[in-house]
Amino acid sequence: MLLNIKNLHVSIGGKEILKGLNLGVNEGEIHAIMGPNGTGKSTLAAAITGREGYEITEGEIWYKGKNIVGMSPEDRANEGIFLSFQYPVEIPGVSIQNFMRTAVNSKREYQGLPPMSTVDFMKMMKEKQAMVEITEKLQNRFVNVQMAMLEPSLAILDETDSGLDIDALRIVAHGVNQLHNAENAFVVITHYQRLLDYIVPDFVHVMYDGRIVKTGGKNLALELEEKGYEWIKEL
Amino acid sequence: MRVAAKAENSRNYSQCDSLLLGDKCGAHTWPYVECGNESSILEHEATTSKISEDQLFYCQQRGIPTEKAIGLIVNGYAKDVLNKLPMEFAVEAQKLLSITLEGSVG
Repeated sequence: MLLNIKNLHVSIGGKEILKGLNLGVNEGEIHAIMGPNGTGKSTLAAAITGREGYEITEGEIWYKGKNIVGMSPEDRANEGIFLSFQYPVEIPGVSIQNFMRTAVNSKREYQGLPPMSTVDFMKMMKEKQAMVEITEKLQNRFVNVQMAMLEPSLAILDETDSGLDIDALRIVAHGVNQLHNAENAFVVITHYQRLLDYIVPDFVHVMYDGRIVKTGGKNLALELEEKGYEWIKEL
Repeated sequence: MRVAAKAENSRNYSQCDSLLLGDKCGAHTWPYVECGNESSILEHEATTSKISEDQLFYCQQRGIPTEKAIGLIVNGYAKDVLNKLPMEFAVEAQKLLSITLEGSVG
């Protein structure tokens, strides 16, 4: 199993947000996590990626056979965990190329490889860009390029759709579908069924009050769209 | 900044931007202006910003260790100024920046 989360409890500033969450993800799978606001979906993403301020009070996060609780965020990233943020973060004055090159070379350093030459890097960038763009329209998004360049084993999309219009959404989904293969897995956190029209999940999980309260196939997302979230509170 | 009495129609714009690293620091700037000619136009401006938690985590999440991430952010911040420096000096300044940043975190 690629990711195996057991009885995860996470607190922020002493307040418990995740209250015994279990989740297993195999290579080759796409999982969707849905649920109302404030049920801990983003906290889960933060805990998996090791963000500071999210205190794991109980439980384990097994990834590629290692319990990664306590591992630094950059080491987790270099082990292949990728998070697509809800809102893109900007670093003024740093070009896409410069940022990407720093990231690629950091990963190479972690793997004990020498930094990439400028020529090789530009070539790789071009190839990967072509891989994820919608060719007929030359449309692309930086997050797709990042995923293509860093080749994560586990990519988490944390409500990436909330800031995107329908065209941008299609581009991101296109990238995910291009990159998805039998060796990697995607966890898509979303409020809406809409994104799941383009990224078809194998499993849909519903979160409520810090736990996964229901798991089903892709039809569960349709059911939620129709019935809303009220009924899951009874579960 | 000092404008002498004979400097007719002189123009000055001073910009002073500070970037804060960590939560135990502050920036104090005193723009100093002495104007001896009434036709001059002088302006000054100061901004203070800090490396945000989001920016830092974003870099780390892309595999970039904290110290390198800060170097990247600071160099990006200072890019406009570094770009205006003569080549030899720009390289020096960049190196100087990264040395100053070593051990500034954690």
